[in-house]
Amino acid sequence: MDATAEQKYSFDVVRWFAVMAVVYVVVGALVGVYIASELAWPVLNFDSPYLSFGRLRPLHTNAVIFAFGGSVLMASAFYSVQRTCGVRLWSDKMAWFTFWGWNLIVVAAVITLPLGMTQGKEYAELEWPIDIAIAVVWLSYMFNFVMTIATRKSSHIYVSNWFFLGMMLMITYLHVVNSLAVPVSLTDSYSLFSGVQDAMIQWWWGHNAVGFYLTAGFLGIMYYFVPKQANRPVYSYRLSVIHFWALMFGYVWLGAHHLQYTALPDWTGSLGAAVSLAMIIPSWGGAVNGMMTLSGAWDKLRTDYVLRFLIMSLAFYAMSTFEGPVMSIKTVNALSHYTDWTVGHVHSGALGWVAMVGMGAIYHMIERTFHTKMYSTKMVNLHFWTATIGAVIYIVAMWVSGIMQGLMWRAYDEYGTLAYTFAESVEAMHPYYAMRAVGGIVFLLGAVIMLVNVLMTVRKSVSEGSLQQARTAAASA
Amino acid sequence: MADKNPFPGENNTGHIWDDNLRELSNPPPRWWMIAFWASIIWFIVYGFIYPMYPIGHESTKGFTGWTQIKEFQEGVDEVEAVRAEFETKIAAMTADQILADEGLSAYTIASAKVLFGDNCAACHGSGGQGGPSFPVLADDEWIYGGAIGTIEQTIAMGRKGVMTAHGKILSADEIESLAQSVMEGDPATNPLFLQKGCIACHGMDGKGLQALGAANLTDSVWRFAEADQLASVKYTIAHGVNDSTDPQTREAEMPAFGDRLSKDDIKKLAVFVYKLGGGQ
Repeated sequence: MDATAEQKYSFDVVRWFAVMAVVYVVVGALVGVYIASELAWPVLNFDSPYLSFGRLRPLHTNAVIFAFGGSVLMASAFYSVQRTCGVRLWSDKMAWFTFWGWNLIVVAAVITLPLGMTQGKEYAELEWPIDIAIAVVWLSYMFNFVMTIATRKSSHIYVSNWFFLGMMLMITYLHVVNSLAVPVSLTDSYSLFSGVQDAMIQWWWGHNAVGFYLTAGFLGIMYYFVPKQANRPVYSYRLSVIHFWALMFGYVWLGAHHLQYTALPDWTGSLGAAVSLAMIIPSWGGAVNGMMTLSGAWDKLRTDYVLRFLIMSLAFYAMSTFEGPVMSIKTVNALSHYTDWTVGHVHSGALGWVAMVGMGAIYHMIERTFHTKMYSTKMVNLHFWTATIGAVIYIVAMWVSGIMQGLMWRAYDEYGTLAYTFAESVEAMHPYYAMRAVGGIVFLLGAVIMLVNVLMTVRKSVSEGSLQQARTAAASA
Repeated sequence: MADKNPFPGENNTGHIWDDNLRELSNPPPRWWMIAFWASIIWFIVYGFIYPMYPIGHESTKGFTGWTQIKEFQEGVDEVEAVRAEFETKIAAMTADQILADEGLSAYTIASAKVLFGDNCAACHGSGGQGGPSFPVLADDEWIYGGAIGTIEQTIAMGRKGVMTAHGKILSADEIESLAQSVMEGDPATNPLFLQKGCIACHGMDGKGLQALGAANLTDSVWRFAEADQLASVKYTIAHGVNDSTDPQTREAEMPAFGDRLSKDDIKKLAVFVYKLGGGQ
């Protein structure tokens, strides 16, 4: 029990964001498993537009990225900024505004997406009134964060806060520009950009939702929670400075690699690919710095299941930040583009890196903010293995299926004629789609285990009265 | 925040956050720094290989002269070179002549396989085996005829036959009786077949009339195949096919591909369908 921290810092909103993140990861993964199953067994569409893949897929991506990812980012940024600055959140009220605002946006997404209201932009489907709400709530999150740093008691700003702040700034910029649209009604609008420029702006956002939201933000999480959980110093300050600036300046250029072999001018695609390849090493800088933090303390992995989540996430991070640039090389892209390989790559980042590091951080925060041990460490361990195995099954299925798809589409016979019809390539995917659904189910199972464990821990905290004690006990400092 | 370093001797930067967060003064690993500089050099070099640096409305060309259109064209040229020898002949020949040339037929069948798969198989099945409401193409029963020219015409122009709805013209008993005879494969013996004018389209012998697309009723090939075939036949008699006066009419239309596919592709598809087994 840490009464000092409980009374010095504002943990209420952190607790709520952390618990909601776990609820959302279950919901997001459930929808994901459902749509993966639809692809394998189309009968699951039930001929209903509300259940069709086209509408549920954005619900899945919005649930995992914005509902789960957003809740994790908000919980961990609010938690760590207070502790690394040694001051309470600048405004509790504004933090609650962020919490309720963000959750209302999630509710709005759950209602509008199945109804088919969409801007048709990937990872930016929500219609313009919701876009405005996102901008406002996001700015409240950033403003509170910045003001907390401005009132800090520490002389220097800790590295995790650089990454959080970089993400907040860039996501504001990216979200606002990509969402610029001319509204024609409350539920309909047209993008301000057109043609290939619209596509370019869209992927400038699309890749940086990955680059800043899901990478820089989660590196912020990594820099706080890995050394904290391991009780080890970060390996190299200088490395963190160099790879921070390299990521900040590099990532914004990558969007064009999504549009190679399209109407986008050749030079733009080359630029996207060249910077992508140059980003492998800066990305690995983060992975190296995180992993080397454990040097001399690797034995902790044997006993600390939460640390396992954090370190495994770095392994997935290193792998997928290598895979992505390779896929942006023109000759590889010609094969991989439009195939399931892309889907597999995204999930090695999403399941392996984002979810794992986020879940590790949540376990850490739940114990610290509810002032009790997890209800069951065995369940944490079981969750670790289901998450890892589920992610690996998913990724492997998509590698095989994606490369096979790419090869089947381009294969031709001795007469110079296509060897396979499109339907034959779809048929060939079936076993891998089934395998992907199985991987998703295993991962979902882990998320459910986590939810049960977290809810039981909250119950335990209430029955032990540990949160109450922390609030009222005489603080030692 | 701390006055003195609580973690002496570990070479940290001297800044401590949240009681125990600190960073070491280690330099980045040597291999990482080398790779980092190599990445920057790589970036610059890549821009000389490929078109990359924008200059006004243009860009540098890259010393390989690569453009995506050129790469695409090279790929197309490669297959076109193989196909040219056959394709020039096909362009100059009728579908009949192609059928007569064994080598060219083999090429055409191989070449039309994907055309068939992408344009026809969704309704007619990947092997032309048909499906409910969609005629079988692999047998020798034809609604409009299995001559090569007719098949070509069907593909190019499409087909939309009409059968009048008889629900208001015939009594339930009459429909039942006619449907029974059709099921037995011998409708001509039923006096109603003549009296009610079925012969006008389906012929005196009930074997249909290809000029009108009237089905042969004696061959037990069911275009509108259903589990209860008798009920299906009765439904067809009552509601007809493509009869706009009956809202419950059966809809059956073969779309025209003349605007979607090239003349040569249609020619090839006609040969392919002919060779599925039933060409006449």
